[in-house]
Amino acid sequence: MKANPLLPEMATILEVVDETSNIKTFRVRFDDEEVMKNFTFEPGQVGQLSAFGYGESTFVINSSPTRMDYLQFSVMRVGEVTTRLHSLQAGDAIGVRAPLGNSFPIEDMKGKDVVFVGGGIGMAPLRTLLVYMLDNRKDYGKITLLYGARSPLDMAFQEDVAEWIASDDLDVVLTIDNPAEGWGEEDQTKRVGLIPNVLTDINPAAENTVAITCGPPIMIKFTLQALKKLGFADDQIVTTLEKRMKCGVGLCGRCNIGTKYVCVDGPVFKYSELLELPNEL
Amino acid sequence: MSMLEELKEQIRTALPDLDMVIAWEQGFDAAHGTPLFIRTEADVDRLMVGPLSVQNPATYLPALVKAKGAGKIGVVAKGCDSRAIVELLQEKLISREQVVIFGFGCNGCVSQALLEGKIEEAGKYSAELTGVETDGRTVKAQVAGETLSFDFNDVTFEKCLTCEYPNTLIADHFVGDKVEVAPGCEKAPSLEEFEKLSQNEKLSFWQEQMRRCVRCYACRNACPMCVCRDHCIATTHDPQWISQENNAQENFMFQMIHTMHLAGRCVECGECERACPVNLPLMLLRRTMGEAVRNVFDYTTGTDPEVVPPLMTFKVEEENINERGW
Amino acid sequence: MERKFISHDDITAWLDGLAEDHVVLVPMKDGGSVSFRPYVQGRTPNLDRQAVPSPKDAVFPQNETLLKYRFEKDPEHLDRTRIQVKETLPTEKTVVVGARPCGTRGMLTFDRVYDCDKNQDLYYRTRKENTLHVTVACTRVESTCFCHDVGSGPADGEGSDVLLVPVASGYVAEPITERGEALLAASQFKAAGDREAEAEAVKAATVAKLPEAHDYSDSAEKLMARFDDMEFWEEQSAKCISCGACTYLCPTCYCFNITDDTTGLTGRRLRSWDNCMSFQFTLEGSGHNPRPTKAHRLKNRVGHKFAYYPMLHANAIACCGCGRCIKSCPAGVDIRAIVKAAQNYTPKKEEGGDES
Repeated sequence: MKANPLLPEMATILEVVDETSNIKTFRVRFDDEEVMKNFTFEPGQVGQLSAFGYGESTFVINSSPTRMDYLQFSVMRVGEVTTRLHSLQAGDAIGVRAPLGNSFPIEDMKGKDVVFVGGGIGMAPLRTLLVYMLDNRKDYGKITLLYGARSPLDMAFQEDVAEWIASDDLDVVLTIDNPAEGWGEEDQTKRVGLIPNVLTDINPAAENTVAITCGPPIMIKFTLQALKKLGFADDQIVTTLEKRMKCGVGLCGRCNIGTKYVCVDGPVFKYSELLELPNEL
Repeated sequence: MSMLEELKEQIRTALPDLDMVIAWEQGFDAAHGTPLFIRTEADVDRLMVGPLSVQNPATYLPALVKAKGAGKIGVVAKGCDSRAIVELLQEKLISREQVVIFGFGCNGCVSQALLEGKIEEAGKYSAELTGVETDGRTVKAQVAGETLSFDFNDVTFEKCLTCEYPNTLIADHFVGDKVEVAPGCEKAPSLEEFEKLSQNEKLSFWQEQMRRCVRCYACRNACPMCVCRDHCIATTHDPQWISQENNAQENFMFQMIHTMHLAGRCVECGECERACPVNLPLMLLRRTMGEAVRNVFDYTTGTDPEVVPPLMTFKVEEENINERGW
Repeated sequence: MERKFISHDDITAWLDGLAEDHVVLVPMKDGGSVSFRPYVQGRTPNLDRQAVPSPKDAVFPQNETLLKYRFEKDPEHLDRTRIQVKETLPTEKTVVVGARPCGTRGMLTFDRVYDCDKNQDLYYRTRKENTLHVTVACTRVESTCFCHDVGSGPADGEGSDVLLVPVASGYVAEPITERGEALLAASQFKAAGDREAEAEAVKAATVAKLPEAHDYSDSAEKLMARFDDMEFWEEQSAKCISCGACTYLCPTCYCFNITDDTTGLTGRRLRSWDNCMSFQFTLEGSGHNPRPTKAHRLKNRVGHKFAYYPMLHANAIACCGCGRCIKSCPAGVDIRAIVKAAQNYTPKKEEGGDES
């Protein structure tokens, strides 16, 4: 933990990947080799990326701690800071404050089956945990990934997804909202339908299983309902929350939900914990 | 029946058809008034209308009429408040059917800032003010158990001294007699003093004043016209017009932007200056702007709901702007 | 530690001495108001007036430059821009003379968040270490004072280094900390003698002016019970105009914003006070706002001070009872009335219907 938690560590962008029309992935390395060597984080933790002159924004470190050639962040362009980040290229400087926040309750998931349900950019926090689990495959049971986006063009991590479909280590189902040309209906991997409905069709067993879901608020709301109908208990469901953040370390007082600060007590929460929070998501 | 009782009756009669009636009641002590949102019969009994009813209820209207499921909103309005309501109507930020206005003839309000200043001048501590009473000619202030008396004109708002619209301009119900239009003076005394300064003296004046602004935006939020307060240029970064840095230069820039955005809109109700926690003389800016608008466009804000404000329209040939004569 | 005495006549000489190697902040008449301003020879301090803003500016300034940055061309790759970033820690040594106990105690709220095991805000800590507080005890009580309701009082020295108690010809100076005691070594401080008894009498007389203390100890529970009652919060927030007067003047409010200011090729990252009463405070990039109305935001502000913070910090209320928010609110919103309304809340009974 840095002596000054508000001071970014300087890093350089190694590579920028165009995922979709509004999502780019950035692979960065700290300029200070010692810092890069000693950097550790847990899946689920986030970082504040600095676009100097514009501000900072929070993104999950979506690479896995098992692969430390670089740190990976995926950025959806929505406003001033993200637009500036999107203009950066390989070789450009960037500031990073990480790791921040809590991480996925991995210990609770060992020996269990895991169902990942991701929507759009919500795939990013799932990716870090998924890759981590695949790199520690024997610790987990059956792994299922349901990844949905509005259309094939809105699907990020295409390279990863192709690898995961080809792999025997997990089952993958992709879904889009409306039929699209070339999107094979014959292939059960590629379906058409809203995520909660497809989830219900897949019908994963709830016993000894943990479900991890992330995506737009409306998708999470209905996915939670579907998971409950499938028999998942509140503490078997894990999600991540988004909030406007500035300091990222529990000082500036803005990301709280009642007494919990999303930057410190989150962004990972079990559904059972969410239910105890006051209603101001 | 006293004017207050008659007003209460009018409100009681109208209340069943209204979401609420916005008026005033006794504040946290006997020296302050505060807005009252009358929703039930019991609330009507708390009504206080008088020299401590300083807040302009028009500032609540744009948000209230836009709220989902909003019905009609009632509002008790002083003359200056009603000018703000007229301006909101002119700008179509509210519509006439959405508001029910209760009017009366106002004899002026007591300025907390001026009263505290007078108490301090008398060698007492304004912090110990606990009560204010007035008959319109003399103001009696309770300060640490002692009663201090001041002339009403010495502690009333400058807007009251120069008021030409003491009677609510448009009203669905009017209680009591109309008050005679008799301003104590034509121009605000502080503005008279300010205009005597040289340009350099004016600059120094503002540098000294603006140093203590805390950028709380009370002036902006108290203003009935500042309906864009949630998206204000002062707190956006894209584009960025002013820094969040609190120094005289940036603070003054904010005030200038604020004043410019009110050109042809400000009804000089004085709420900005009253709301300011550090007593900045903001009305000097507003009145100067108001005079410029009057001179260039022969237009006084907030008096006629049918008139389109001059900066919301154009004339091919402006009477007072010499565009070609040079 | 020995109590001393300083006469009114010696105050300016003492401040002159302090100002030689400190920034000395004192309440001063400032236009039509009273602010904390740097004391320099020739300026008149007004130690018997309370400044409108709180003294928190000394340790948590309205603006703090966190770092400076500079864009430079990379000489080895001319199409790339390097960024030089430099941390900028504060360096001033400050003495705040003339805050009141309520204002100074605001720092105790900060400490539990900014200077504790979990978190160390380097800028706050640095300023705190370099700031001394010489607090003046109150002899007057305003209708908006309620320090005694929240565990304090007009002569509470907690958080201060020295407490000055006004007596007939000056102040009795009570050292609270060792650093405070060192301040009283200045030549203008003499032995207190029987003025100590006078000071005790002054303190007692002020306490006697206070109304009976109100018990806020169940406020957390009662406020949380009202969390989903938006009708309650709409009623309580109806007259609020969502400005920031309460927040910015409050000695215990510590929320901040971070913005970057660039001019040409250099810039700085600025931390500034932020205001949870503003619409933009929690506005997310997607356009979603968890607190879209002033009812939601007032609920959060009052909830934070009287519920969430006490729940996280052993029942310590994040309010010092100074009353600035009440006095300076353009609409007269009274936080005491809101908390009391929650404490006294009884469900309305509909005629012949169920209790809601």
